Amino acid sequence: MNKVMFFAHLRDKVGKECLLIEASGKTVAELKAEITKEYSLDKMDTVMTAINEEFAGNEEIIQDEDVIAFIPPVSGG
Amino acid sequence: MKDRYSRQTLFPGIGKKGQEKISQKHVLIIGAGALGSGNAEVLTRAGAGKITLIDRDYVEESNLQRQQLYTEEDVWEKLPKAAAAKKRLNAINSDVEIISIIGDATPEVLEDQIKGIDVIIDATDNFETRMAINDISQKYNVPWIYGACVGSFGMSFTIIPGKTPCLNCLLRTIPMQGMTCDTGGIISPAVQMVIAHQTAEALKILAEDYESLRNSFVSFDLWRNQYTSMKMSKAKFSGCLSCGDNRTYPYLDRDSMTKTMLLCGRDTVQIRPPVTGEISLEQLAGQLSTLGYKVKGNPYLLSVEMEKERMVIFKDGRALIHGTKDLTHAKSIYQRILG
Ligand SMILES: [Zn+2]
Repeated sequence: MNKVMFFAHLRDKVGKECLLIEASGKTVAELKAEITKEYSLDKMDTVMTAINEEFAGNEEIIQDEDVIAFIPPVSGG
Repeated sequence: MKDRYSRQTLFPGIGKKGQEKISQKHVLIIGAGALGSGNAEVLTRAGAGKITLIDRDYVEESNLQRQQLYTEEDVWEKLPKAAAAKKRLNAINSDVEIISIIGDATPEVLEDQIKGIDVIIDATDNFETRMAINDISQKYNVPWIYGACVGSFGMSFTIIPGKTPCLNCLLRTIPMQGMTCDTGGIISPAVQMVIAHQTAEALKILAEDYESLRNSFVSFDLWRNQYTSMKMSKAKFSGCLSCGDNRTYPYLDRDSMTKTMLLCGRDTVQIRPPVTGEISLEQLAGQLSTLGYKVKGNPYLLSVEMEKERMVIFKDGRALIHGTKDLTHAKSIYQRILG
């Protein structure tokens, strides 16, 4: 199982700070697509992903027990 | 004033040597809104040698809740932020030379100002300018400190050319619909937290204590009590056009910029974003009406009544701003809403 965490407006959209999802073997892009569909989010292409607190690209493959965080870049200043 | 910096030189990370270095350095701050005000005040009090501030906006009433350099008088006088900031910063510390530039931080302006700069502080409200800062930083080998916030959420990352990945490595493209303070609101503590992260890193750079730089990308939500620090050692992208081997600095190119055009005889400015793609008009309409704007729309466009102007946004990101002939002002309104 994988713990998937959401930040900023993604957290509001999903309605929870984290979800437990079976994501091992999937790429980050595949997981993003799945979540986008399930929670009718906007495209997550530019949302940054951390796997176990390390930056991960969209091609990276998720392992069992990995903790994933989705962090949307914001532009306010 | 011999005692002025005594508490800062007592701090072992800086010391007398560090203070001497800080006093010889030149900081470029892009934007004088919430992050720009706070960064400028901290670095002015800390005794930086010179600070150049660039900003295109005027002080408005809705700024006062979080933009710490401004007063009600500045609002009445409709002072440009860069001018109001300079006045206040000079009053705080007359040792620091403050250079204020009233205008848009375009690639040309950045090229003009970069010479002799030791660190760039990002205090803008849009990704187009951030990507231009990112390219300038790589081209002239000057570090920059990304900072942004919306709602109770904030983030920061220090980019050192040749050492860390750059912003283009992380995003690969300009996000189409970044949340902005005008669409998602903002509370002052989130601003202050970003400022604290940016200025701590800036002081390390100015005092030349590079070993102490953070290296990770921080993000936090002060209302939801989340804090995360993301390691960036694997984030460098070799094909990056801003910092890779075959770099072209794409965001310094005129074609990559938001285009503004005055429509003849119509008191209307047209704005075209650098990347075309689909934006979610429905989501934007929801956000804007929550904020009290009058919004009308159909599947193709959204019309938003603002204080003086009316903005019509199309699905591909193009917009018409009715009721103004000022290109810079129109672009500012657009980027405040669309990021
Ligand atoms: Zn890069």
